[in-house]
Amino acid sequence: MKSLTPLQLEHFLAHLAERYELRVPILLPDGTRTIGSPDDGPLALLGGAVPGKPTAAFFPQQETIFTAIHGRLSQAPPPPKPLFILGFTATDLECLRFIDRFFADGIRDDLYFRLRQGAVVAGISGYCGAKGTLLPPAAGNCDLELFLAGDTWLVIPYSGTGTELAKELPNAATPEEAELFKCSIPTVPDGGETLLQAASALLCADRVPDSFWEELGERCIACTGCNLACPTCTCFGVQDWRSSTGVERSRTWDSCQLDGFMREASGHNPLGSEALRSRRRIHHKLAADPRKWGEISCFRCGRCDAACPTGIGMMAVAADLVARFG
Amino acid sequence: MKRTLTVCPYCGTGCMFYLVSDNGRLIGVEASSTHPVSRGGLCVKGWNAFAFVHHPDRLTTPLIRKNGTLQAATWDEALELVVERLAQVQQRHGRDALMFASSAKATNEENYLLMKLARAVFQTNNIDHCARLCHSSTVTGLAETFGSGAMTNAISCIDETDVIFVIGSNTTEQHPLIGSRIMNAVRSGTRLLVADNRRIRLARHADLHLRHRNGSDVPLLCGMMQVIIAEGLADREFIATRTENYEALAESVAPWTPERSAAETGLEAADIIAAARLYAGAKRAMIFYSMGITQHSHGVDNVRCIASLAMLTGNIGRPGTGVNPLRGQNNVQGGCDMGALPDLYSGYQKVSEPLHRQRFAAAWGVPALPDTPGLPLTRAMDAASDGKLFAMFIMGENPLLSDPDQHHARKALENLELLVVQDIFLTETAALAHIVLPAACYAEKEGTFTNTERRVQRVRKAVEPPGEARSDQDIICAIAQRAGYDGMTYADASEVMDEIATLTPHYGGISYERLDPHGIPWPCPTPDHPGTPILHQQRFTRGQGHFSPVSHRLPQEQPDADYPLVLTTGRTYFHWHTGTMTRRTHLLDREEPGSFLELHPDDATRLSIRHRERLLVISRRGSIQTEARVTSMVIPGVVFMPFHFAEGAANRLTNNVLDPESSIPEFKVCAVRLEKLP
Ligand code: SF4
Ligand code: SF4
Repeated sequence: MKSLTPLQLEHFLAHLAERYELRVPILLPDGTRTIGSPDDGPLALLGGAVPGKPTAAFFPQQETIFTAIHGRLSQAPPPPKPLFILGFTATDLECLRFIDRFFADGIRDDLYFRLRQGAVVAGISGYCGAKGTLLPPAAGNCDLELFLAGDTWLVIPYSGTGTELAKELPNAATPEEAELFKCSIPTVPDGGETLLQAASALLCADRVPDSFWEELGERCIACTGCNLACPTCTCFGVQDWRSSTGVERSRTWDSCQLDGFMREASGHNPLGSEALRSRRRIHHKLAADPRKWGEISCFRCGRCDAACPTGIGMMAVAADLVARFG
Repeated sequence: MKRTLTVCPYCGTGCMFYLVSDNGRLIGVEASSTHPVSRGGLCVKGWNAFAFVHHPDRLTTPLIRKNGTLQAATWDEALELVVERLAQVQQRHGRDALMFASSAKATNEENYLLMKLARAVFQTNNIDHCARLCHSSTVTGLAETFGSGAMTNAISCIDETDVIFVIGSNTTEQHPLIGSRIMNAVRSGTRLLVADNRRIRLARHADLHLRHRNGSDVPLLCGMMQVIIAEGLADREFIATRTENYEALAESVAPWTPERSAAETGLEAADIIAAARLYAGAKRAMIFYSMGITQHSHGVDNVRCIASLAMLTGNIGRPGTGVNPLRGQNNVQGGCDMGALPDLYSGYQKVSEPLHRQRFAAAWGVPALPDTPGLPLTRAMDAASDGKLFAMFIMGENPLLSDPDQHHARKALENLELLVVQDIFLTETAALAHIVLPAACYAEKEGTFTNTERRVQRVRKAVEPPGEARSDQDIICAIAQRAGYDGMTYADASEVMDEIATLTPHYGGISYERLDPHGIPWPCPTPDHPGTPILHQQRFTRGQGHFSPVSHRLPQEQPDADYPLVLTTGRTYFHWHTGTMTRRTHLLDREEPGSFLELHPDDATRLSIRHRERLLVISRRGSIQTEARVTSMVIPGVVFMPFHFAEGAANRLTNNVLDPESSIPEFKVCAVRLEKLP
């Protein structure tokens, strides 16, 4: 374990920029934080998870699959330098771990791995949450982790690349600092996790009546923000743009909250109402994914709750479910 | 990877977000977590607002019609020809033979410049924009009653009101981030009254939903006012100290007993009484309205009634109250503010007023400006159709689909000696033009939009325009220069705003430096003024609030034996107006791929029309094919159609009858019949 002063951290990042395409938490002009290029705003490590979908770094909202101009097919080349991304919280890293599995399963998604392969992912934790609160350590799921303890950033490597990078750093962490880090690793599930498990159990036991989903459906304005903010939502649509010279095929984030998502060519729609679609959104993460992947695919990042204009994000719905039917 | 903070190009809610671009190409949208309106969210149109920008259909070069077809041309050729032909038309037929149509999609700066081009360079007041089709009734009605035709309160007032009255607005679909805020307020205890005969989403959350007959808003509102006065629920003190002409109003609504109002509206008298008590009983109540109120041949009267209702109960000039017309387009408020109107300069200063004319003439360096008000857009289309108007310069509008009675609109446009269209795609209207000028879209230029709560916000350039497309500002200024006017050279858009500020009192304190990050609500008269979220606090803009009594007029076309159903038109959640942008956005297009007609199950059974069956809709003006959507969203006897779709264009059916005062068309009521396809 190494340690860095804030200034040393900045130098470390500048040094990394020579080998990597750097993405770090930055402050945008209106106070919104995001994970972006350091040229686009000042470093903003404090404040917790960024509001946007962090996995967009590997799975952007829209990307070109190929172009065929005058019959010549071309695909985007891999980036000239691999990505180094800092700013995933422990829950973000769980999300990333989950979609890594998803995109690698069966036919490997070459578009995703074009950016993901070779990328170095650095987690962020410690006393850098909203208003200085503790962001629990990830203790894995990344190449290395930066943990803020007082004025010092501790650097904890996990992968081979992480270890190599940490080796270059001069100062070792003190035993007290190492201890502080260890003590911060959560050992029992947090409140949110327990809540989701309870909600999941209710869904799996079919204890939630249709009327609940109908009520929820009345509140969904189909903004799609829940899906578009969620780090584990991976659905996309594929479309072609045709011009006189050829075709461009691209993919764009899709949303299961839209009528067209499951509408069949005949016009029949197995998810033909807001109630059914809202049920699907929750069900998929809390009941279907546990069966397919062995785990709930919501890691409680809270982004859908923040993006939803009507208050029916995952945590709000889970709390309501458990309060009414638990 | 770059993120550019800008304003949503769709509705007047005015959400700001970041356009995400990589190597000069937009790849997505990120929400702003700090913006006071969007607050970390957006609606589906906002989330997808990047997706049409690089579409291969974008116009990339000027086009000139030669031998009947539009052919690529250079900017030099096109601009030269525009100026030459405009001058020719004026020489032949007089100064007012041309019409300039500005756009509520364009920035404030561009609206201001087009109005300057029309007035200073071409010396005509024939300039207008699509506000004529949406809120001209508001501008007229509220100017008369309050002195200012804009939303009186801030969107955030929704969080602190006790009762919300929504009439003629499908808020969750058309102003989604306002509609959702209303839903949230209702969950925290605010009471909701909805008057709209479609079973819109808000109606499902309402304490009381009134499904009154189309065009019966005056009887409903007068009935409510009658109850309020009769039951002593009026705010006597507010009436005495802040208003005038109350006696005339009281006299005019006295005959509107709940029973009479019920007979005209098709409602129960008890519901009208309940609605009156609910609204008048609140400490703070807000009214929201939109096209359901304005788009009638008596639209101004509807607006007058709304203003009276609010004044009668003292619901004006305080937090959590107000009369809140929801402006449809991203910048329709700004288009009006900037004087893209035939009778007003920027800041609602009258062209008929010599002092205003002199001020503008002096500032613009011209000897004189025309003094008679020009033609409203809808009247200009009539004039063109009658062979009395000879040229139109249309910036970013598609009247062939958006105007009433498409046959009439086509005839008008085809009659013209010269049609110039400046747009981002080859719209149905542009396809008829003699000269087409390719413009930059919102993501490719700098400027400001003013949202429905009067918040002036910065639009920023994220990527370059395609091919040779140029910003509307560049194009307008180039035309001015070629026409021999040298008063329209600006280094950038902020210089245009500086000029606007010197001539427009309520923008007087606005400059680009001050607009970061989330804009300022006007009036903002001086550089140190913080802006004004709530209007009419101590006094009305016009001094005293004026009660304007109205008499009831039915919509012009009533259903009869030949055309037994009422057709009302509007939009869907997923598309924007004529679909130029949204129908080129894959996700939005997939959601609503084509024209449809909502029909009540009772009518469907009677006419033996099945859900999703193709059918013919026929009015006195034309007929179209569409698909039936059998739903209890509508009441029996009424059918609804969106106007987005060129195939199955609802405006082939609508009636080009205009409100005599505001010249707004009656989009909301015409008579049709349905026929099964053979
Ligand atoms: S909290 Fe919402 S956004 Fe976050 S992982 Fe769960 S479902 Fe996705
Ligand atoms: S509510 Fe209006 S301004 Fe906001 S994202 Fe939707 S269309 Fe854009």
